[in-house]
Amino acid sequence: MVTEPEGSLLLKGYGALPGAYDELVDETGAPRPHARVAADMLNGLSPEGFQRCQSLAELSLVQQGVTFSVYSDQRGTEKVMPVCLVPRVMGAEEWTRVERGLVQRLTALDLFLDDVYGDQRTLREGVVPGEMVEKSKSFVPRLRGIKPAGGVRIHIAGVDLIRDPAGTLRVLEDNLRTPSGVSYVLENRQVTKRVFQHAMESGGVRRVDDYPSQLAEALRSVSPDGVDPEESTVVVLTPGPFNSAYFEHSFLARSMGLELVEASDLVVDGDDVFVRTTMGPRRVHVIYRRTDDAYIDPEFFRPDSLLGVPGLMRAWAKGRVALANAPGNGVADDKAIYPFVPDLIRFFLSEEPIIEQVPTFVCARRDDRQYVVEHLDQLVVKAVDEAGGYGMLMGPQATVAEREKFRALVLAEPRKYIAQHRVELSTCPTWVPERRRLEPRRVDLRPFVLASRAGAGQPPSRWVLPGGLTRVALREGSYVVNSSQGGGSKDTWVSTS
Amino acid sequence: MISRVADHCFWVGRYLDRAESTARLLQVTRSLAFDAEMPTSAVWRPVVTVSGQYADFAERFGDRAAGMGDVVQRYMTWAPENDVSIRNSIWGAREGARSVREVLSLDIWQATNELYLWFVSEEAQKQFQIDRDDIYRQIRRQTQLSLGLVRSTMLHDTPMDILWLGVLLERIGQTARILDMHHYLLDEDIHEDVHEDVDEDVDKDVGAGSAKHQIVQTSLWLSLLRTCSGFEAFMRVHKGRVTGHDAVEFLLFEERFPRSLRYCVRSAVGLVRRIWPEQLASIGGAPLARLAALDDWLGERKHDLLPSSIHDLLTHVVDEVALVCSETRQAISGAAIVPETEKAEVAPKGEAQSQSQTGPVGEAEAAATAPAPAPPSTPQ
Repeated sequence: MVTEPEGSLLLKGYGALPGAYDELVDETGAPRPHARVAADMLNGLSPEGFQRCQSLAELSLVQQGVTFSVYSDQRGTEKVMPVCLVPRVMGAEEWTRVERGLVQRLTALDLFLDDVYGDQRTLREGVVPGEMVEKSKSFVPRLRGIKPAGGVRIHIAGVDLIRDPAGTLRVLEDNLRTPSGVSYVLENRQVTKRVFQHAMESGGVRRVDDYPSQLAEALRSVSPDGVDPEESTVVVLTPGPFNSAYFEHSFLARSMGLELVEASDLVVDGDDVFVRTTMGPRRVHVIYRRTDDAYIDPEFFRPDSLLGVPGLMRAWAKGRVALANAPGNGVADDKAIYPFVPDLIRFFLSEEPIIEQVPTFVCARRDDRQYVVEHLDQLVVKAVDEAGGYGMLMGPQATVAEREKFRALVLAEPRKYIAQHRVELSTCPTWVPERRRLEPRRVDLRPFVLASRAGAGQPPSRWVLPGGLTRVALREGSYVVNSSQGGGSKDTWVSTS
Repeated sequence: MISRVADHCFWVGRYLDRAESTARLLQVTRSLAFDAEMPTSAVWRPVVTVSGQYADFAERFGDRAAGMGDVVQRYMTWAPENDVSIRNSIWGAREGARSVREVLSLDIWQATNELYLWFVSEEAQKQFQIDRDDIYRQIRRQTQLSLGLVRSTMLHDTPMDILWLGVLLERIGQTARILDMHHYLLDEDIHEDVHEDVDEDVDKDVGAGSAKHQIVQTSLWLSLLRTCSGFEAFMRVHKGRVTGHDAVEFLLFEERFPRSLRYCVRSAVGLVRRIWPEQLASIGGAPLARLAALDDWLGERKHDLLPSSIHDLLTHVVDEVALVCSETRQAISGAAIVPETEKAEVAPKGEAQSQSQTGPVGEAEAAATAPAPAPPSTPQ
């Protein structure tokens, strides 16, 4: 929609960051072959033209109300997740490999969860040390023996991928509980389609807009036995409008044509779940819950809490309702389990992992521990039960005192710590409005994977959304892509050829 | 439809209509204060009275302030402590709409959100100082936009019916209160039975004292009609002749006028019937029966309307509508938690069942988190 006859070659002045892989250009500064269309599009724009597009995009997001709400702000201040219009592009061939790798990984993790909450072969045979599971905060021993309706545990997964300087994609983290961010993927695409109409038409970019219907199908497929999926009632369960991801909950419910409910709308009678409606109670068969395990059922998880639906876990345990994702999944995306995922893939599938992960030192192992305490100045140390940057030592930047503190912590409770070398995340050209030019900024990628019930005895069938959420650390030199700390997002293009 | 969502829809309707009625009332009263040669207290005091907030107002500002147009307008427009101020109504409508965004259309949410953002902006505060009439006009326009979008962009289904039921019930209450505000004046006028052309030069026909009285009266009727957006409609029906009796009768009984009590009650009956058809009478039967009885009762009153009975009539309407509102919310909650048939299938499990079926917590929470301050109580 915007054409700039003068074409000032936006990418020409772009300088990639030494020591990092750039997603769009190679070492010589030439566009990578699969990113040709995006590069041509950028080179057809002047800085002024690009800024116009960028402003148009931001305005459009505000108008559509694509926001995350600032927690408990009574005035309802809502922020827009910053978006950079320069897309991140994935080649078709690489993407095929990523898809296969993700399906492989999640299939193994789903089997691992069945096993942990089943007969625990992996623990008995030492694939995963028993204490790593038993001491995990997210492991719920009382769930052992329960088989979820529909036979799926990881219905929706978001797997965080990063790319190292050699160009190898690696799994950084699995999100198997309530991964969020997919609404930005869909909204970002809407915006790029509007702004870069021509490039999108000719570019052969794979579509993402069928995610809601794929998700609805996946949810319906796990309806309890004896319930016709076509007739089943599926609802989206949200903590409520003050949750920071409420927009996404509402967005997904709206685009799937499902009811958005809060815990107080649901009631359990006997072993069945009902939703209170103006026409009386109606039975619910599948719940896409965006609430944490702790707030599902006060009778089961938190007797002191009034939040949740009393009796819901009983209904789930009896197979009368499906919960997506299944309770107890947190044990499989625990940092303490992460180092063992490649072995789990080998154990369950007799295959080598297709996607690498970040080499990890497990402090519970004596040799690893020795290495870690001797190289604290080079490593990132993470406490397994913490998230969001807490309980973490960034070795290279840390003071001597901080390192000493962690040395003591690691030696006192080795099981609680893992360590990795810091990965120099790959970069992508990113618009810097103050300087009106493109500069390299670090990115990660969160693809989303859906699982549906397959035939009897078959593992769930999985579908990967082409692309996913590319998060970008907008601040110069930053590695933090989190939206609450100066992160933004980009549209992710997977080319069709 | 989810009960909680339905309750939000009901209140979105009520708040939008309340914001509009209040803005309309303030706008028209301002104009009345200029036109009618009346003491300002006679003009402004009733505004606070009909809102049901007189006690609170008098406590904060003193009794005399009720005669001060500016104090009253600020109180009715901005005061956060006034349950029925325009600010609280717009806030309530916006919060309700936000909670049920996925049920409303995007257009409705955006219009209501924009109304709110504009209303709390500095620009609106400034405009209130500079051009008050414009503020009221904008509030009316934007609430009307939201209400119009309800009918033109939402699926004509239970959510819209419930929202619109909220609009109608609120409107009945507001119209009845506004009429009641002037009932003592109606009394005199109907006895005099003066028919007067609005354009007539009154000095020529009647004595000076009486003429002044009639100018006051005429201004009042006109403002009453304008307050209810009924000026043009009334003039068409009555060919430009304004009397108190006709104005009141028009606002009470005119079946073709969408803001008359009769019209609103009758439409509400239709909506309740659609929301809870006969097979759901166990849930929606109570508000339906009460509304239908009110409709019949109003129909009969048309033939024996006496000036002395107007206050009683309006009081009855306001009281009944308040009951309909609470019965409607009861019905919205879906009445029985679990159908008897389902219960019969489940073997009595003592503890487990009594815990799950009663949900006293849920009930208490629902009541405590009702998205709204209570509707204004009956004046006086």
